Amino acid sequence: MNITGMLQGSKLLQYVGFPTTEVLGPSASEQEIQDLIARHGLVFIKPVFKGGVGKKGKAGLIGKARDLKTALAEKERLYFAEHRHGNAVAKANGVTFEAGVPAEHEIYFAITDDTRYRAPTMTLTHRGGVDIEELDKTEIATVPFDSLTGLKAFVVANALSDIGAPKEIISPLVQELPKLWELMHHYGMTTIELNPIRMRPGKGGRLTPVACDFKCGFDRDDPRVARLGLPAHLFTSDVSDFEQEVNQLRTHQGQSDVFVINDKGTILAPTFGGGANSLVTEVLGDAAIISSDFGGNPPYEKMKSVASICYRHFLKQSNVLFIIGGKSNNTDIHETFRGMGDALRQHFSDHGPTPLYVVVGRGGPNLVRGMGNLADTCDALGLPYRFFGFDSAISEVVNYAKKVDLWMRDGGRAEIARSLGIKETV
Amino acid sequence: MHVKGIEGFPYYMGIRSLADIATPDDRVVVLNAMGGESREVTPTSHAFSGGNVVYGVSPGRRGQVLATPAGNIPIFNNVREGLNAGHSFNTGVVYLPPSGVRDGVAELVRVNPDLKKIVIITEKIAIHDAREIRAMAQANGIDVIGGNCLGVADSWNRVRIGGALGGDHPEESLLKGSVAIFSNSGGFTTTIAQYLATAGWGTTTLISSGKDVYIHYAARDFAYGLANDDRSAAAVLYCEPGGYYEYGVEFDKPVVACIVGRWKSRLTRAVGHAGAMAGSGDRAEDKESWFQEAFGVAGSFSDDPTQFSAKGAVVTNIADIPAALTAVMDLNGKTPDFAPRGNLELKPWIANDQGLTLPPDIALPPVEATPPYNAQIAALKTQIGATVARQTMKDRSGASIMDAKTQVTRVHGHSVLDLAVTPLEAVYALPLVHEIAGPNDRAMLDIAVASEVNLVGDPALTAAEAAREAGNSPNTVMAAAAAIIGPKRVDRALDCTRVLIDLFAHSGLRDAADTGFDSSGISLSAEQAPLFLATEAEADDPRPEAMLEAVRARGGQSVFLDFLDRTPGRKSRDAILAAIALTFAWAPLMRKKITRLTAESLPWYLRLYGVMIGASIPARHHQHGALWGIPREERFSKWTMADLCFLAITGRKPVGDEALPVQILIGLLISNGPGSITAQGAKGAVAADGPQTPSRVQINKAMIGFLTHSGYSHGGNGYEGIAFLLDHFAASGLKNPADPGHGLDLKSMARQFARDYKAEKAAAKELGSAVRALPGVHHPVFKDKPVNHDPRERFIAEFMAERGHYNVFHEFYQEVVQALYAEGVSRYVFCVNVDAVIAALLLALLWDDYRDGKLTNRDLENAAFTVFLYGRMIGAAAEIDDHINRGRNMDTRTPAANCGYVV
Repeated sequence: MNITGMLQGSKLLQYVGFPTTEVLGPSASEQEIQDLIARHGLVFIKPVFKGGVGKKGKAGLIGKARDLKTALAEKERLYFAEHRHGNAVAKANGVTFEAGVPAEHEIYFAITDDTRYRAPTMTLTHRGGVDIEELDKTEIATVPFDSLTGLKAFVVANALSDIGAPKEIISPLVQELPKLWELMHHYGMTTIELNPIRMRPGKGGRLTPVACDFKCGFDRDDPRVARLGLPAHLFTSDVSDFEQEVNQLRTHQGQSDVFVINDKGTILAPTFGGGANSLVTEVLGDAAIISSDFGGNPPYEKMKSVASICYRHFLKQSNVLFIIGGKSNNTDIHETFRGMGDALRQHFSDHGPTPLYVVVGRGGPNLVRGMGNLADTCDALGLPYRFFGFDSAISEVVNYAKKVDLWMRDGGRAEIARSLGIKETV
Repeated sequence: MHVKGIEGFPYYMGIRSLADIATPDDRVVVLNAMGGESREVTPTSHAFSGGNVVYGVSPGRRGQVLATPAGNIPIFNNVREGLNAGHSFNTGVVYLPPSGVRDGVAELVRVNPDLKKIVIITEKIAIHDAREIRAMAQANGIDVIGGNCLGVADSWNRVRIGGALGGDHPEESLLKGSVAIFSNSGGFTTTIAQYLATAGWGTTTLISSGKDVYIHYAARDFAYGLANDDRSAAAVLYCEPGGYYEYGVEFDKPVVACIVGRWKSRLTRAVGHAGAMAGSGDRAEDKESWFQEAFGVAGSFSDDPTQFSAKGAVVTNIADIPAALTAVMDLNGKTPDFAPRGNLELKPWIANDQGLTLPPDIALPPVEATPPYNAQIAALKTQIGATVARQTMKDRSGASIMDAKTQVTRVHGHSVLDLAVTPLEAVYALPLVHEIAGPNDRAMLDIAVASEVNLVGDPALTAAEAAREAGNSPNTVMAAAAAIIGPKRVDRALDCTRVLIDLFAHSGLRDAADTGFDSSGISLSAEQAPLFLATEAEADDPRPEAMLEAVRARGGQSVFLDFLDRTPGRKSRDAILAAIALTFAWAPLMRKKITRLTAESLPWYLRLYGVMIGASIPARHHQHGALWGIPREERFSKWTMADLCFLAITGRKPVGDEALPVQILIGLLISNGPGSITAQGAKGAVAADGPQTPSRVQINKAMIGFLTHSGYSHGGNGYEGIAFLLDHFAASGLKNPADPGHGLDLKSMARQFARDYKAEKAAAKELGSAVRALPGVHHPVFKDKPVNHDPRERFIAEFMAERGHYNVFHEFYQEVVQALYAEGVSRYVFCVNVDAVIAALLLALLWDDYRDGKLTNRDLENAAFTVFLYGRMIGAAAEIDDHINRGRNMDTRTPAANCGYVV
């Protein structure tokens, strides 16, 4: 749940009265753009990405215009721009027109929870406008502060003194920057970054910090985010229909985020436990369809609902239904297996049978009852299976599931299809 | 701001040694003790720890108790009430929902001055709240463990605080030893302890740290506690990507660090918890390198088992932890704490290949589980056959379903189209074994049914003939015979089946055709043996010997027949029927494909199949030793179900593949799903007997239910297509309908019909009367395209074409739909529907006898109806068996509120 760019950023900053540059959205008329250029002499044209996308400047994705013609040409170039950063690919849908702010000083400012200090931590430098990683450490102030008292003016003042910031920027920053902690802490943010904040000279030469770019991350577990009334589509950049549907069932009891690893995968692995999920996803590689953690003792009905969604989206393409976890501490195996088994039965009733091999690796309360129940379901559906207890190494069970997957690809799927009396193959 | 704790820490830290984390002296209060998770976990923790929970808090529940094996835990509305009641504690455990955690921590901190530790189990705490919890704890000198964790445990002290480390049997995993565990994963904390035991390593303190952005008790804190814990000689750390908690931490004891999560850096987009996910420089690979540098190794032990030092090793798979630790400890001159317990090899506890032949590396044989699980699995195995949950089965079926789009019905997963081209004996077996029977089983079914068809001397034949002479339709004739095959007519066969199942259930027999199976250790008791013997009254019945001879002649294999053969005395027909039935029911029964009830009832269905088909043959053709002139031995030893049905319909022995159309016709007619009237009749009959007491359900009466729910409109209407064809072909001089060179101008015939029909339609419109429907043409589902097809008709047409079979009547139908369009009768080309195929196939089958005058129109009508009944009795058997197994008493009723009164 991240937001980048001034289109939304300027609205968020207004909650705490932090000055921002003037911004027009993708629907701005030519007249409005012309007026913006007339007022400021220079506009920046930036593609609008959903989610957290950085390093746009380095990728040549920030346009500059001093006339309407250039602005419109840049709009055309950037409107659907594609941005590759590491493995991540993002596609723009729209542009913003942001007024240029003449300034001598550019500031970098961020607050995030730093695990080195286990506290909210401010990062500040007066040499902003560039990648923070490119600066010398002596030019950057990294200051943890107490979350109960918050980011106070003196913390900012001390930090600026420590890095030798020019005196003319200290007072305006000391006044304005603490507002950003209010925005971050009270609206469910995990991080906030403004780079650059440009110090615009005003009457009498007094400088005003003006936010010219914005990034933030939200905590999906924090109900304070709802105070902002942000539309859900802002966070749906890459969320598949499946993720949208299944994550609606996410509560504080069980089930962390579920997401699609490879929508062409062939092993559907409902996984229990964060550690198991990490290990299983690691070892399965491309064969894994989803990454999931359904642990936390989900009740029967919830488990059945979640499994139904997984089956509806992915069972048809799956060779292996792989139910895997370590030896659970408090998740009731009977309840969870019954939920998944009944959902499987229901799926076969509603959508017809599909060739599948069921592999289980699990331990925990009511283990044998759960396995017995699931075995009955597989027997009723005619599905072959192997259930491993917790005394088999989880990684070996994962390798076994991969082996079954290969056999399924190599004719096993057709063989099971024949035994089920269906002609379907994927 | 923090109060002063242990010196040298830039923050508050109060825990000096791992030995102090979970001690016998700790007194615990549990917040939200009566919540769902705490109610499950706290009693086990309390009992395991010798009763360390002094009270629980649950607003509004003061006075209640949480019962545990170590005595009741009192519940108070809040923390203060418990303190006022004289209790004291130093440790708080938080099970509150996420939104309440911060306030719960504040309550503990402010109300109890003796508080030292808080363990937070709750997951999905907002980072905002975690920040403030950290600040509060630091300001007040409290050590916090978690959140989003499973708490802490101490194997030496036998204490666990907070969550469920070790599950519901902590003593199984928390084995006293010399290794401390710190894990970001709660589940893996226990799993690692269990894995260590396989190499002989036990544990000291186990810490489930959680892996939120704020890990309140983190790796650095753990390293300090480890150094000061004399019991701990080494540690295992399980870490996931994200955060710098492990960066630069120095351990002065050997450590195995397991880091899992390289996959996260390969993702093409950001996913998951923003804070918990790896950012820059804290990927799994980064963490591996931190530890490798600290240990002085060049890689991971998982990739290269030579990569370890006296300081430690890095693994990327938890299964490698025991070996890595042993290697590291060996360099330190330390040996395991105890003899290895178990191993981590693949051990399938429960498996079923469903009769498939799997490659050896997949078909791993099941291995006996460790106690107590082995006994539980053994108990599971005493359950023979499938278990099915009962539910209301009105308009529902676990046996059949019709696809509303294609109108194709599936029975036990098999499309009727496929069944139409499957040997008929396998199709008759399908409702009983829920799968397509193999050659041995098919031969067994042929013999079983063949032995029941000739009803000479049986009152069932008398009843059927009386019904026939009274002018009844074929279904009523069959019903009369079925009524005679009541429970007492099958009791002995069913009892024999039960005894055989009891004897062989746990013998290890998987395939009843496995004649190599040694059944020498199995024998009938003195009470059981007489059940299988023929009585004096049966002395003249030649069928037992004939059946056994037929099995030999067909090369049939049956462990049960061999077993009976070894037991002394002449066996009854019932005993042999039971053995034959169980032969083909056995594998699906062992694989839990069918229930024991289904297997036990099988002889009843087989007898009914035989009697119902037999009843459709007039009484005069049933003679001693021969049916319609065909000797018993021939029918028993060679004939298939298709041959038998062909004989019953035509009165003659099929030549070549003459019986194929009968097989196809019957296959197509098996079922139209649970909504069809016949299925409703069968299901209603079962519901009325009360399937929840299955022994009271009369299967013959259920068959009568299906039969009374067929009739001239449902089953008998197959004749309408034949009558339509006769209108055009009776006087045509057609000799052989299978000869493409028939010499008839089908196009002209069809065109003429279309013109006549158009005129008839116009006249009817003029008069305002209804236009007659055309049988075999058009379908309410397959319509509105320029040219329409019924997929069922296409399937059969293609199958017949592939085999070079021609049918003039079928071709005529195709010309008719074209002509209707060409003449403007239809807006588009109607489909030729499946009823037309049935009429065409059947009329072709009977054409010679009809042309020769041996069959009347009434005979043709009866034949069409009878073929329908042959097919539908299979579907009915499927519904009956399903409803007996799944249904509830009287569950087919319609509530009064849904019924209407009409005047």
